Amino acid sequence: MTAETIYEVFARKAHTEELKHVGSVNAADDDLAKAYAWTVYDEESWVEMCVVPRASVIPVTAHGAIPLWGN
Amino acid sequence: MSTATTREYETTKDLDDATAQALHRLLRAMADTKLLLGYHYGEWTFGTPALEAAVANCSLSQSELGHLRLLDGVLKKFFGDDPEAALEDRDAAAFANVTYLDRDLPGWAGCVAMNAVVDFALTELLAALVGSTFRPVRQNVDKMLDEERYHIHHGRGWLRTWAARGDGERAALADQVGVALDSVTAWFGPANEADDALLVAAGIKTRSSGDILEAVRSETAAMATDLGLGLPAPAPVDFAAWTPATRRAGGGGPDAEILGHLRGDRNDLFKRM
Repeated sequence: MTAETIYEVFARKAHTEELKHVGSVNAADDDLAKAYAWTVYDEESWVEMCVVPRASVIPVTAHGAIPLWGN
Repeated sequence: MSTATTREYETTKDLDDATAQALHRLLRAMADTKLLLGYHYGEWTFGTPALEAAVANCSLSQSELGHLRLLDGVLKKFFGDDPEAALEDRDAAAFANVTYLDRDLPGWAGCVAMNAVVDFALTELLAALVGSTFRPVRQNVDKMLDEERYHIHHGRGWLRTWAARGDGERAALADQVGVALDSVTAWFGPANEADDALLVAAGIKTRSSGDILEAVRSETAAMATDLGLGLPAPAPVDFAAWTPATRRAGGGGPDAEILGHLRGDRNDLFKRM
């Protein structure tokens, strides 16, 4: 089976709003990631949605280093 | 050089009878195919190889049935077709859907072939109605195409995924894609078919069925080559018995059990209340 990638899903409801992280999907390729994101996170009439492979997200803070006061 | 008229039609009263009847038959065939696509996607909400595909199929089913409702609206307003009677009262042999949808799909490879070939062929036909001179159709096409984009992503994604899964899966997929292509070929009809010529001449369709089929075949073949899918040679189609009313070269119709499900036979008590 093709290895699956975790894609983070971002969307916004209006062009005046910023993109927000709405969830993630597991998919074998970009086509399936688009289809899954659109069909899983269909609770709103998004004007824009995009997916980003989680591996492409560059961490700024250290992974797993959750401060005592949370994040 | 295009010879299509640039006139716009608001209603079938603006069309000559032969063209109006040709449009009626085309929309009926599209509606019947959308109905069966919705049914099969719905059936495959369960048993998918991935949970996300189950959610996706459920959504694709809903959008196909939504498209059916849009087509029903045009068919009712301009041709007097009652949507309920169209489903409940016709013999199976009167349904004009793509024959690949007549029976239960043979496994996940069949579902992927339906998605990547049959659904895609309908989308190519919808694209040929963008800019249609028949305004009631044109007004509905953009919404349908907007949603079909995700059907195409899903079909292509699963073609790649299933082809990469193993030799058995790849062979089954190639077989089913070939069968689906043959059924789509039969559905689009013979070259220079009379209804199609009328619709193209009136600018209701911007491309002939032959051109649309060629696009479907060439895009599918290119993808199959990339994936190492050895598609079977196209089966010859005998169009002698083909009519635009049913778009079937060999008769038949949806399976009785499928029609029973579509008609809600198990809910018969409620329908009689």
